[in-house]
Amino acid sequence: MSEQSDSRTTGVEPRDNWVARWTTLTDIERTLIDKPSSGIEAWARTTAGAVVMLLSLQIITGLLLGFYYVPSTESAHTTVAYIEKVVPAGSWIRSLHHYGSMWLTLALVLHLAQMFWRGTYRRRPVGWMASVILLGLILASGATGYSLPWDARAFFGTRVTEGIAGGLPLIGDGARAWLLGGSEITPITLARFFALHALIIPALMLTVLAARLFVFRERALVSAAEERRLEKWMHRQVLRNAITAGLVFVALALYATKYFAPLGPPADTAAPGYLPRPGAQFLWLFQMLKYLPGRAASVIAVALPGLILFGLALLPFLRGPLSRVMAHPRRNIGFVLFALGFLLFTGLTIVAYVDDSRNPLVRAQLRRQEAEEKAFRDAPFTPLRARTSESVNIEPRSNNANNGATPETSPTPGSGGSQNSSMQGAPPESYVTSCSACHGTRGQGTNMFPKLVGVGSKPRRTVEDIINLLNDPLVYGIELPMKSYRDKLTEEEKREIAEWVAGLK
Amino acid sequence: MPDSNRTKRGKELDRGRRDFLLWVPLGIFAGLTATVAAAAFRFLRPARSTQEAVWQTVAPVSELKGEKPIMRSIVAEHQAGWASTLEEHFVYVLPHKGNQVLSSICPHEGCNVAWRAEEGQFFCPCHDSFFAADGERISGPSRRGLDPLPAREQDGMLQVRYQSYLNNTEERIVRG
Repeated sequence: MSEQSDSRTTGVEPRDNWVARWTTLTDIERTLIDKPSSGIEAWARTTAGAVVMLLSLQIITGLLLGFYYVPSTESAHTTVAYIEKVVPAGSWIRSLHHYGSMWLTLALVLHLAQMFWRGTYRRRPVGWMASVILLGLILASGATGYSLPWDARAFFGTRVTEGIAGGLPLIGDGARAWLLGGSEITPITLARFFALHALIIPALMLTVLAARLFVFRERALVSAAEERRLEKWMHRQVLRNAITAGLVFVALALYATKYFAPLGPPADTAAPGYLPRPGAQFLWLFQMLKYLPGRAASVIAVALPGLILFGLALLPFLRGPLSRVMAHPRRNIGFVLFALGFLLFTGLTIVAYVDDSRNPLVRAQLRRQEAEEKAFRDAPFTPLRARTSESVNIEPRSNNANNGATPETSPTPGSGGSQNSSMQGAPPESYVTSCSACHGTRGQGTNMFPKLVGVGSKPRRTVEDIINLLNDPLVYGIELPMKSYRDKLTEEEKREIAEWVAGLK
Repeated sequence: MPDSNRTKRGKELDRGRRDFLLWVPLGIFAGLTATVAAAAFRFLRPARSTQEAVWQTVAPVSELKGEKPIMRSIVAEHQAGWASTLEEHFVYVLPHKGNQVLSSICPHEGCNVAWRAEEGQFFCPCHDSFFAADGERISGPSRRGLDPLPAREQDGMLQVRYQSYLNNTEERIVRG
């Protein structure tokens, strides 16, 4: 009796669980709520749970990889190899990220198909558009992520992405140059692909999601009784979604323990005849490029999927003008777009696999590459060798262990440089006692402090300037720990240091 | 009366089912999170340095004479993570103390100390710590004297095993 009056006055189920009391989840749930369905249809709708789980997993594994990955052409491949070969759980996490991107694409396509089938675009235009835009962003994320390991596969992936960007109508040449950061694939290109993949695209994705969940309200106004029914259904639906998400995760986790994410030898070691093959979610595009000639290829390769996505995104708004010529414009156009997309995606993917398996030459080459990748994977990790200071000029460590650095390679104050003939003579005694601890015995700098070599050719660094700088470093914009040596050196000492430093080349 | 009993029991059943609907998704979520978190923990755990320091030649013993500390540099290879780097380290040899070798790294915040002949002291230019000619702390913010490095003489050569110590501690603790 009291419950009845309760629901009549408040219009909602009493909020008796902590989720409703302490979180906004119930409000988000109401934003997401749509017409209830049951049976197989209710389970088909759990693609939503799979998409949410896979997207979260991509973000988490991506963040983790960011703890080791360095986006520079010298380091990228080495750091990925380090993740694969040295870091515990590294190959599993990278495999989750690699195959997760393909599974996510598939889950989102299924999600869209399922939404279309139920006519969601009519009732939830914002939710529908957000999902279509998300698919576009996920494809872009996959394309840019492909370049990051900087092996041969990545290098050719970058070539193809560049070519496709260049094929965009009207803005093609500009798009290509902006994407590459120049006219060729350079270190700048890798940095740009990294910024797009790890910063720009995720930011756009989160913006779309935030808009969907927190900005737009798509709740149909329903009666209090209806709302209670919806909420009850939604709770059961959350359970179904969780089960699907859990199963998909277990499947992906097991898949990732069995299959490594591919990583070949570094980009610059690729032999001629290397056959690049894209990730599964791009095989259709790869196959399409085989059939289309020249410039038209990239135009069509961009335009066709672009048009499909664009058409799908606009589906909720296609009704007005078109309903005069067509009975159900949205359903019909959507159906055509889906059929076209399905044909393109599934058909060409299958053709791509069949093509490769039928051509013996291709098969042999792909097997060679696979063997190469396996050999690289089984080889122990070789670290990147870097030099830190210009004076360094020694034999590798194995020699060191036996006879150590020879007297010539341990520069001594006043012993003169033997390794570089263009170098200045021995530094003055005052330099050795006051400067060399930080700036190196021959002005080469030490790991924390700057080198002085070449200082003389910079502006405002004449001998007089250097003397003044020793007196007042701050006047020259030089901050601590460089201190004033006004009272610590005599005028002659300052001059002899300045003259010696200015002559360092 | 029996009617109200039935609704009460019905309500309890309802509550039980609601709890189930709440706890199962949370349980699945917790399972996924725990799996990924366990991998993330292993993935991010700091690498243990297993590198053995090697003996490196500083100079022929015959060159090391006099009352003043003599600065030398050695180049050590460090393998850290994915990179192997060559780092130059400065050391001071004290010929008057049986060729004891001191690291030039100030135990305070890690700058390189300089030998100031006129005062007969080591001096750190970063935060003004002063050390005696034998490395003992005299004044300034450093909490201990200069760090000695393991050294030996072999075939007429002075050799040192370079190691780095934690800075800003009273005790000497080798890193790694």
